[in-house]
Amino acid sequence: MNGEAMVKGDGTVYARGLRKCYGDRVVLDSIDLDVTCGEIVCIIGPSGSGKSTLLRCVDGLEEVDRGILRVNGDDLGFFETENAYRAMSRVEVAAQRTRIGMVFQQFNLFPNMTARENVMSGPVLVKGAPKKPAAQRADELLSSVGLEGHGDHYPWQLSGGQKQRVAIARALAMDPKVMLFDEPTSALDPERVGEVLAVMKGLAEQSITMLVATHEMGFAKEVADKVIFMDGGLIVEQGPPAEVLGNPQERRTQQFLEKVLV
Amino acid sequence: MDATEKPRLHRRGWLEYAAWTACALVAAGVAHTLITNENYQWDVVAKYFTTSTVLRGLRLTIVLTVVVMFFGTILAMGVAVMRASSIRPVRLLASAYITFFRGTPVLVQLIFWFNIAALYPNIAIGIPFTDVSHGVDVNKLLSATTAAIIGLSLNVAAYLAEIIRGGFASVDRGQIEAADSLGMSSATKLRRIIIPQAMPTIIPATGNQVIGMFKETSLVSVLGVAELLQSTQLIYARTYQTIPLLIVACLWYLIMTLALSYPQSLIEKRYSTVRSRVSNQPVILDDVLAGGEAR
Repeated sequence: MNGEAMVKGDGTVYARGLRKCYGDRVVLDSIDLDVTCGEIVCIIGPSGSGKSTLLRCVDGLEEVDRGILRVNGDDLGFFETENAYRAMSRVEVAAQRTRIGMVFQQFNLFPNMTARENVMSGPVLVKGAPKKPAAQRADELLSSVGLEGHGDHYPWQLSGGQKQRVAIARALAMDPKVMLFDEPTSALDPERVGEVLAVMKGLAEQSITMLVATHEMGFAKEVADKVIFMDGGLIVEQGPPAEVLGNPQERRTQQFLEKVLV
Repeated sequence: MDATEKPRLHRRGWLEYAAWTACALVAAGVAHTLITNENYQWDVVAKYFTTSTVLRGLRLTIVLTVVVMFFGTILAMGVAVMRASSIRPVRLLASAYITFFRGTPVLVQLIFWFNIAALYPNIAIGIPFTDVSHGVDVNKLLSATTAAIIGLSLNVAAYLAEIIRGGFASVDRGQIEAADSLGMSSATKLRRIIIPQAMPTIIPATGNQVIGMFKETSLVSVLGVAELLQSTQLIYARTYQTIPLLIVACLWYLIMTLALSYPQSLIEKRYSTVRSRVSNQPVILDDVLAGGEAR
């Protein structure tokens, strides 16, 4: 691939031969990824295909067993020596993570904090930003996801869709170069899916790199620059949405899409 | 009467009437013997109830409870954090501590601390392999009260550490992942995310420990510490009015326990409403046994 030169620096994800096992079970195998800055990548595939695990590896929540994984141009969690990858210190890992945003299926908002405090938590508790400007920024972010005036609400006072939008604002508050979405709409009422997807579409127009594991084929078709179909821990097929979703080459992709698109 | 307006009356089983009768009989019997049996010597109870010796004992019992819970909690937090460490030897050390102090009787531990001077007559505090040191005579250092405080604190810390660990475990994994993905440091994560969310589990259980500790302090009477029980024992050793003075002690324990259980019930209610908003209705066992039936 001649694009390798572009897969360096902020906003990129580069992987070669990634492998991840739980005991004897291989959950990711020979994963190659080239995500350039500002690219929107949707990862689709059946449950258990490894798409969540892949995103969790890119966020450093799971450790990969083998292969090269560079996010924002740096080896994630490990540094390369002559014969091995050596683990970084916790402080170095934490510093890398501040530049990667993650949105979880189950939102994972901090229930002991208001929406505003949730959004402020990164800048204030991690970067040590002063509270007043951070609160102001948090309110701006909350209104950018359509939650103006909800700053004082606690997570239990919000609907699923609202919680997820707070979670997106919380991740954005760290000014990440890469945003990861782990099935962000799977835990939502069908009525609430649209509001979250609308926020994500808005984000896609900015120059933040997005990796989205999703079952929303409409979203993938409309927004993605690239669609990756995964099955059994492998990348089966990848390409522009029109090709992967419109004219899949692999038998497995065709089978999956037939069932999903009915 | 319109059938839609009729009240629905529930069955009252014969067991309920029988239970009321039994309850009344027992109450009457207890009241009868309390009044007619002169060996209770209620006048003696009244006489000693607020004497200065007993009140001093009560004060020491309260002070012991507060001091022991204070040191115990601090120690327990350390042990609990160690118990949750990612480093295996640290974890092992903490579980060894918990196993030892929960696995041996408190009474034995107390007597042990009281007699620790037999094991280590002198403690020298100093820097190993140098001449810098300062020796202390353990017998002088360790009064009965100090031994009591050390013994009870070390013991309660083991129980509290398990309570705190349970609190940590009740925090959803996703919370820790969310904090991690923001790049939060371990200390911040513990202080801002884990501890606040573990509190609803920890605080009610700790309240129960306080009430338990209040009564447990009576054990230190064997060391000759003049707390509530020992101070009544000192009196009846002189006057031989054993039963009335034990009643004095029991009444004070009961009064203090009841006084503590009111704030405890408020704490439990507060934290259960914050958490899950479940009603505080007691579990009715025969309903559970009846199973499936519409209530």
